[in-house]
Amino acid sequence: MTGGASRLVAAAVVVVAGFAASQVARAESSMSYLTTFGPAGDPATRLGWGLGLISIAVTVIVTALLLAGLLRRRQRADPKALAVASDTGGMAWIYVGTGITTVILLACAVWTIRTISAIAMPVGTDLSLEVSAAQWWWRVRYDNADPSQVFDTANEIHIPVGRPVRVELESLDVIHSFWIPKLGGKMDVIPGRTNVTWLEADAPGVYRGQCGEYCGAQHAHMALSVVADPPATYAAWVADQLAQAPRPASSDVAAGLATFSRHCAACHAIRGTDAGGILGPDLTHLMSRSTLAAGTLPNTPANLLAWLADSQAIKPGCRMPRLALSARELQSVARYLQTLQ
Amino acid sequence: MSAEQEPVLAFDPRIEIDAARSRTAFGAFGRIRLCCLLIATCVHGTTSWAGAASTGTQPAAPPAHALPTADFAPGDPAGEWRSQARDYANTRYSPLRAIDTGNVARLRTAWSFSDGTQNGHEAAPLVLGDTMYLVTPYPNLAYALDLSKPGAPIKWSYAPAPTPVAIGKACCDTVNRGGAYANGKIIYNLLDAHTVAVDAATGHEVWRTRMGDATRGETMTMAPFVVGNKVYVGNSGGEMGAWGWLAALDVDTGKELWRAYSTGTDRQVRIGTDFKPYYSWMQGKDLGETSWPAGMSKTGSGAVWAWISYDPELNLIYYGTSNPGPRVPTQRPGYNLWTSAVFARDATTGMAKWAYQFTPHDQWDYDGVNENILLDIIFDGKPRKVLVHFDRNAFAYTIDRTNGEVLLAAPFAYQNWSSGIDLESGMPEVVPEMQPKPGVKLPNVCPPDIGGKDWQPSAFSPRTGLVYAGIFNICMDLTDHPQSYIPGTPYDGMEMKRYPAPGGNWGEFMAWDPVAGKKVWSHKERFMTMSGALATAGDLVFYGTADGWFRALDARTGAVLWSQKLGSGVIGQPMTYIGPDKRQYVAVYSGVGGAAMVSSSMPGFPPRGSTLYVFSLEGDSPHGGEGELETRGGAPAARSDHGMGGKP
Amino acid sequence: MTAQPRSAVAAALALLGMLVLLGACQRPQGGVTSNVAPAAASTDGDKVAAVPLGDVAGVAGSTYTETIRNPFTGDPQAIAQGRQMFVSMNCAGCHGYDAKGGMGPNLTDRYWRYNGVPVSVYKSIYEGRPQGMPAWNPSLPPQVIWKLVAYIESLGGTAPAGAYEASLRGDRPGDNVAPEAQSTSTQPASAGKDSATDATDATAAASPPQARPDAGGKP
Repeated sequence: MTGGASRLVAAAVVVVAGFAASQVARAESSMSYLTTFGPAGDPATRLGWGLGLISIAVTVIVTALLLAGLLRRRQRADPKALAVASDTGGMAWIYVGTGITTVILLACAVWTIRTISAIAMPVGTDLSLEVSAAQWWWRVRYDNADPSQVFDTANEIHIPVGRPVRVELESLDVIHSFWIPKLGGKMDVIPGRTNVTWLEADAPGVYRGQCGEYCGAQHAHMALSVVADPPATYAAWVADQLAQAPRPASSDVAAGLATFSRHCAACHAIRGTDAGGILGPDLTHLMSRSTLAAGTLPNTPANLLAWLADSQAIKPGCRMPRLALSARELQSVARYLQTLQ
Repeated sequence: MSAEQEPVLAFDPRIEIDAARSRTAFGAFGRIRLCCLLIATCVHGTTSWAGAASTGTQPAAPPAHALPTADFAPGDPAGEWRSQARDYANTRYSPLRAIDTGNVARLRTAWSFSDGTQNGHEAAPLVLGDTMYLVTPYPNLAYALDLSKPGAPIKWSYAPAPTPVAIGKACCDTVNRGGAYANGKIIYNLLDAHTVAVDAATGHEVWRTRMGDATRGETMTMAPFVVGNKVYVGNSGGEMGAWGWLAALDVDTGKELWRAYSTGTDRQVRIGTDFKPYYSWMQGKDLGETSWPAGMSKTGSGAVWAWISYDPELNLIYYGTSNPGPRVPTQRPGYNLWTSAVFARDATTGMAKWAYQFTPHDQWDYDGVNENILLDIIFDGKPRKVLVHFDRNAFAYTIDRTNGEVLLAAPFAYQNWSSGIDLESGMPEVVPEMQPKPGVKLPNVCPPDIGGKDWQPSAFSPRTGLVYAGIFNICMDLTDHPQSYIPGTPYDGMEMKRYPAPGGNWGEFMAWDPVAGKKVWSHKERFMTMSGALATAGDLVFYGTADGWFRALDARTGAVLWSQKLGSGVIGQPMTYIGPDKRQYVAVYSGVGGAAMVSSSMPGFPPRGSTLYVFSLEGDSPHGGEGELETRGGAPAARSDHGMGGKP
Repeated sequence: MTAQPRSAVAAALALLGMLVLLGACQRPQGGVTSNVAPAAASTDGDKVAAVPLGDVAGVAGSTYTETIRNPFTGDPQAIAQGRQMFVSMNCAGCHGYDAKGGMGPNLTDRYWRYNGVPVSVYKSIYEGRPQGMPAWNPSLPPQVIWKLVAYIESLGGTAPAGAYEASLRGDRPGDNVAPEAQSTSTQPASAGKDSATDATDATAAASPPQARPDAGGKP
């Protein structure tokens, strides 16, 4: 086996491995950016794939040409000749090569610029979110021209399928980055300024997001999810979110609310009660969310209790302190929180 | 309505005839004709007194239009002062004229009284017959002083002992804006959100009604307002996320008859089918709730902490509401109705008739609580029943009080937040750069939170047709910090540094033409002018300054005719009365505090005080002079150390 | 020519490795180590929780341990966090963004109505005080309250731990005159301060101080 053949094999391995990996990613990883599901991400994904394939093709062709050049048997020169005979034919290759390269690069540049302009700004969005990043969670406010339709939630964004959503990003402390890989590229979240990005999903589903810029100890536990709902489901979700928390239906639940008000209300808000804290996530509809602590735990009763009992063990250093609550109080607060559908 | 009824210039120091009062029942045109007579006589009077004034200031030309008039109902006796504003229309005008431009220079202290409580003294004393009634800041003592005896001894005193928790819940000092007399009772509000009625004869508590929960940041500082058998009270707590309201209580029992919230559903705001705001953007269902983000209206304030006026003909009461809460605007998108607004309500049922929001989506703490003076004017050739309101947002409004139409809105103090009020829509045009962003310092916002003018009430004189007001010339650097709502703590978030606007003076006292929307004259003061104003038929206006000067100005020219430095700064409301000895007295509290403390770091700012000063010509009174060595009789003073600590 | 296949394999492995790493991103990793400070604070917090807090405020010779030290005194990070809480827990709304008083008392001067040693300041926050100061006991855990105390201590008005009696009088240990009469001599920290401090003191001397500030000092 010659050296050239081994190079070809290696190149083929790279291509096949990449393709196989992408298939794996497509099937398994919620954080894979190799396939996207909406116009905010698709042009960039196509561009990425396209440029990748062009690069591979260029590499293959250039490698092949190089190999051909190396392997081509040179005409045996006359050892007695005074000078090497001039060979003017090579210049044509250079002209042709430069020309083709220029055309390809120019085409790539045009494609890139067009892609950037296609995804840069939302077109005709009537839905706007303010997302504030904090160590280590995401506050989400749904804006609306009608102020009574404005509400707060956290860590889980619902969007209607097929509608572009404008997202204004602000930081409450350090630099973060807003990143929903399957819906689009990253956008940094910088203290003191408002960056704008947008989301649009063309298929219903849950798209996981993650802080994309190291922001402290629990950076890894600063996830969010974007749930793309069919329009009717989305409208129902909005109506649910706008509702105030129900009044406690039993004395046990009322005791949980009372304990919550004393211990937790300075940081958390529950609309319809006295709790109006803005330091932590709005919990008015906590049970409508699929995770706890910004994607750290699935939102199950057991996890909720565990989180209340010792948040610092689960997410050390997070702003949620260890609560001085008895087991009974913990149970009762958890029971109250579970009524927040 | 003949010339004989106009002995206005008769120079009798004991005159008590109230020409203006007798006009209560006249129609608007009747008033105007009378007014013309007044102009004629007054102009003549001014020239004849010019020598006495001798200030060199040129008298201002009389306004080119017919003079505004007012209804001086309920027509209290000329020598008495039974409510904070003296009349329903809130004119703070006294028909007394024994003290006038010619002799005011001879005004001297007749006697004084210290009530022993610290903190801002914002009230006017009341005088009925031979008795003067005082209400103090926290701990909200009440005193009755016997004016007929030498030394004006204490007749009775009353200590209601409000809970000291309220001290730390009152945003702007533990002030009280005074009491009201009704049906043999002195009615006033306690800082811990109770209303009390005290028997005016004995000082015994008649009733006490709990109106709110002080531990949740609800306090009461305003002066009750009485019409017939109803007393109207409202809450303070605009910086504490309180839910603002106005309530009507029965004068005799203290029973709450109705309560109208400033935000919330139409039912809670007492809005029914009769409610007809003039401008379309204030028309709709449940706007007190839907102009707020979900769930935020109930902590949205709109406290009712200042003045109420009443029009007997329309049977409407008028009052303003405070800033929205939290003070950080980005937390509450929407117009935030009905905060920073004025309400007209049926005095009997409390149902709203119309409302007008001065500052939609208020971003600078421009409460709409300042007084509404009810005047009758000729505007564009037509008689209009109007209210005149100097808003904290530095615009003076002349509004048709029958329907809420803004006839005129012109800035009266230095401001840069708005390029003007669009009279078509009633909307202020906001300068975009003046809108604060959280965490970003916004320099040079004018006026600041305390406004171009705060609660300190203005006065109106039918003799000049002008409104007199102490105003501010202040700006601020503003940084917003988004806030959590934690009951009983500030729901506030405005970090401010305040300083004087161009000119360098903090205060100014002005005469305003409410028909033309123009300043007629003004007198600049280095310190804040945070006292109420008093206008008298002697063509004088009185006011005080935060550094303690108490002045009398010529109502026509603005010339300073008399000044006296008092023990502490003046933020009280001057009033005037006829004593049992038939002399005219002028009284004012000296005790700086309240919002005037924003300038307390100025060199020359006085210490606190608690002294009532009473002035008369030459200082004559039965309360002093040779031979009176001790106070006769009198009850001991009320305990005044509640919660204030015997020792620091 | 053995190097080439090896490098090609290495490139492929690198690519695969990257993909594996990407895959790892989707799974939360356990055992993330935290900052040292919060861990230390929580252990101190347990100690602090044992502080007896039932004493009557302002009573001389109090039985509680007035010498208890604030675990965060002088810790710049804790002071910064304390300042943050001072603003976000609405303390600044009453005591002022400069902590110089408003609805509530000035926290930068030496007058302490309820004593200015750290543990007393802690008690004031923890239990609340009668003139409107809310009790933060259930809402704020001990270490957060200590951080607030550390911030207040950093403002220079508090008394050192153990100086209970002196603090009641508004004095510092070693002071023999009322603080108002002093200019720069008492505070060791002020010895090295520049002329700006002196200028401030001179102004203070020029306009005589008024009575000690009390509740409701300004709006």
